This record gives sequence, C-alpha cells and structure tokens, in this order.
Amino acid sequence: MSQWSVLFQKEWKESIRNYKWIWIPIVFILLGVMQPVTSYFLPDILKNFGGLPEGIEFPLPTGPIVLAETLGQFSQIGFLVLALAFMGTVAGEKNSGTQIMVLVKPVSTSAYILAKWIHMSLLGLASYFIGFLLAVYYTFELIETVAISNVIKGAFVYSIGLLFVITLVLLFSSIFKSTAAVAFLSLGITIAFSLLSSLLPDIMKWSPGTLTNHSYRFFETGSGGDGFILSIIVTIGLIISMIFLSIFVFKKKEIASHTT
Amino acid sequence: MSLIRTEELTKSFHGIKAVDNLNLSISEGVCTALLGPNGAGKSTTLNMITGLMKSTSGKIEFDSRHQGDRRKYIGYLPQYPKFYGWMTAEEYLHFSGQLGGLSKQKAITKTEELLDLVGLGQDKKKRIAGFSGGMKQRLGIAQALVHEPKLIILDEPVSALDPIGRREVLELMSKLKDKTSILFSTHVLHDAEEICEDIYIIKGGQVVVEGNLVELQKKYQKPTIYIETEEVLEDWARTIKSMEWLRHMDVKKHKATVTVEDMDKARDALLMNEGLRKLKLVSFEIAKTTLEDLFMEVTKG
Repeated sequence: MSQWSVLFQKEWKESIRNYKWIWIPIVFILLGVMQPVTSYFLPDILKNFGGLPEGIEFPLPTGPIVLAETLGQFSQIGFLVLALAFMGTVAGEKNSGTQIMVLVKPVSTSAYILAKWIHMSLLGLASYFIGFLLAVYYTFELIETVAISNVIKGAFVYSIGLLFVITLVLLFSSIFKSTAAVAFLSLGITIAFSLLSSLLPDIMKWSPGTLTNHSYRFFETGSGGDGFILSIIVTIGLIISMIFLSIFVFKKKEIASHTT
Repeated sequence: MSLIRTEELTKSFHGIKAVDNLNLSISEGVCTALLGPNGAGKSTTLNMITGLMKSTSGKIEFDSRHQGDRRKYIGYLPQYPKFYGWMTAEEYLHFSGQLGGLSKQKAITKTEELLDLVGLGQDKKKRIAGFSGGMKQRLGIAQALVHEPKLIILDEPVSALDPIGRREVLELMSKLKDKTSILFSTHVLHDAEEICEDIYIIKGGQVVVEGNLVELQKKYQKPTIYIETEEVLEDWARTIKSMEWLRHMDVKKHKATVTVEDMDKARDALLMNEGLRKLKLVSFEIAKTTLEDLFMEVTKG
C-alpha cells in the first residue's frame, strides 16, 4: 500500500478518535439549521417580546437571502472552528515530536502534507455539505424554494472559498510553531480578504473574499457577479500554490531541533 | 567493510560548531557506542546520520550495496520517543511498518513478532498514552526494527529510565545484536562496556578516543598506586617527580595517585623511600586505571 494512503488513514483514524468527525459536522449542522429556523420565527419572536407599535409587519426574508446568511454564519463560526480544529495539524506534531518518528522512515514530505490536506478538505467539505443541505431543506420547508441548480452552483462556489481557508491553515501550520499564531493569521487573512473585498470591490475583484458574494448572486440569479471567473481562477491558483509552498517550507525546515 | 561512514561531518548552530569534522566508521554486525558528556554533539551527529538534520558540511556515505534513500536501511529511536498516544501499540507498529515499506500483511506478522521480542505482547491492544517510560522505550525499539533495517540508531536509549527499565532495555539490546548492527549514544561508559564492541568518545563535537573496546581497555589499563599519608605529602611528591618509572602523578594534600611504567620497580622504590616513611603511611594500594578514568579525564579536561 502506498505511504500516502497509510498516512491518510492515520489522519482519518486520529480525527475519529478525537471526535473531530463528530463535533465539526455538528457545528455546521447547527449553524445550517438555525439560520432558516430563526429567520422563520423572528417576526413572531419580535412580536411577542418587542413591544413594537401595532401594525408593523416583518416580511419573511427571501430564500436566497436566508441561504446567503447561512453561508455568512459558516464564514464566521464555521471558519473559526475549522481553524481551531486544524491549526495543530503540522505545528502540533512538530511541537510534540511525533513527526520525527514518521519522517525518519522513508516517507516523502509531499505525501505527508498531501495526506493532511486531503483529510482536512474532506472533513471540512463534508461538514459544510451536511450543514448546508439541512439549511436548504429548512429554507425550502419554512420559507420558500429556490431553483435547485442555482443552489448547487452557489454551494459549489462557496466550497472553493472553504478550501482556500483550509489550505491557508495548513500553510501557516507548516510555517509556524505556535498554533495560536496559525489560527490568528489564517482567520485574520480571511477576514481581511472579505473586508477589503466589500470595501474596495473594484480593486479586489480577484480576491477569494468575493466568493461568498458570488454564491449569493448564484442563489439569486443563477450566475456569478462581475469578476466571478477571475476570482475563482485566482482562488484555485492560490490553493494549489499554497499546497506547494507548504510542502516546500516543510521540506526546508529541519525536522529535529537542537536540544542542548 | 563499513556500513556507514562520515567524512568531516560538521554542523554549526549560529556559528557555533556542535559537531566538528567528525569521522566515524560504523562496521556491519557490531554494536558501536557514541560516548560523551551532555552537549558533546552525540544527538546532533545521530540526527544527521538519520537525515533529520542537514549537515553544514561533510559527507555521509551508506554502504554502496544498499542504494537509494538511506532511511530505508536505518531504524531510529529518538532520545524522547513521542508516539501518537491515541494509537495502540499494535496499531503504531502497523503504521510504522507500512511507512517503512512493508505490505500490510507483512506489517501485521512483523508486529506480532516484535511485540513478543520486546515483551509487549500482553499490552498490544492498549493505548500508548497509558504506557510507562520503559514500555515506550521498548515500543520505540520495536518501531525502529519493524522495517528490518541494516542499522538501528538509538539515542540515549536508557538515560531516562529507572534501574529496572534500564536493565530491560540493555538486555533487549544485547539480544538484538544478532539481528542487526547497532549504533547508540550514551553518557554512561558502563552501558557501552556492557554491550558494545566499538566505541567513539566524543567531546566538543570531535572524536577524542576511538577504537575497539577490548583493545582500548588494554591500552588504557595503566598500573597505578594510590598513596595516603597522615602528613601532607605535597613537598615529598616533588622529590620523586623525576623518577624514571613515573608516568603521571596527581597529588592532593594527603593523597597521591601515581601512574607508573613498571609496577615492580615503582613499588620497591616507594616502599624503601625514607621520605615517604616519615610522612606516616596510611594506605598504599596497587590498582589499574580503567577506561572509566580515561573517560572522566577526557570529558573533564
């Protein structure tokens, strides 16, 4: 069996044993269910507690808006959870020394990094997929239906953005020893991208931070906004180069550190 | 034929040489010890041989019969082996064996064999997180052996263990000598004397003494006389400094350690010495220096 798959199986088993395969999907499921449900009940809640003047009606938000808001939740709490779950993927092994006994065997660094990347991506995407599927279900049940093909396209665009964040975490995890730095930087950069993209839309057209907006446009109209193709190509390009960079950085670093 | 050779191997950290032009030659089928005080550069040397560290300069050559990535032919146990605590001993060896290039089936049979060898057969289904230091060290040896390497490198395999764990690991190592070549580092000469054929004493990143243990023992066994007196013997000691049988003398107030060329001559001369008699002899002992003395001398000075 190839070493890659041995390493991949180890990652898989590890995240089952430490329950990552349970709690990360649960977070996404909760986020996915809560957004449409609260949107649906919000007018009632406000009516009962608000003390608002009579006669004001809260219209239900549209389906595409609820789906976009769900993605907004994923981008905040979901990304935070992913960053915290994976910040130690390389850095933690470096700190504890477990990687020494792996890399002293004839293992290639690219197999080591790729096994991690694919596992992280699978876990992240699966959680996102389940969470979003439930969001779609409750949106359709409680609010309104949205054209399925638009939903699928939008969801696909967002998944590229998700992969970008995951790869960012992997890259920083191979660069830094401190897991706090990994989480802080990868979240910081993600937030910076999305802020800049909404503040300076013209010069940030290429940015991965625009992908959330493009997904929303897909839900709404079935096609991406201005600069969609550019941003998706740039993001995929960035993902691939960050994987190579992680392997490169990891290879250059000395595995054993000077102790005495 | 040597299994692995280093030529002028050097490693600097921020301009300070931890390993300085080191030439080693590890023979096949024997146990070699790398002996030295803490900070002598032992771990750094081993890390370079395993490929975990890059050398600043110099060469490492593995036996040319074994081509390709030399990690295939080396098993390694770090000073503080760190396992994935969530794995069981059995799972770790399966994992490690397959990384070493074994097929899944081969890894499974090899695991059984090694767990019995290192005495962990009973504990194979237990999580490593609950293992004692000695058990981890034995599992560490098993994972070093799992892909049937030509050479196993053990970094301070017994230093962190209690006396019982120490005994177990040393016994295991002498058992392993039939199966594979061993290179290990230690700061305890006694451990090296117990299982090794060849030793390198290194200090400050350089080889100070090297060779076959038995030959070295012979070479450094010098006849020695310990003298103790009631009076201070420092002044008297100066009077015998030029004797032709004297090799080296170490004087401390009431005590003197005298290394000599010819024991019979020296004994006669000293016992007849009027000056010594006046100092009121307390003890006069004939002994031989051991490698331990050499080691202490080398590592101190």
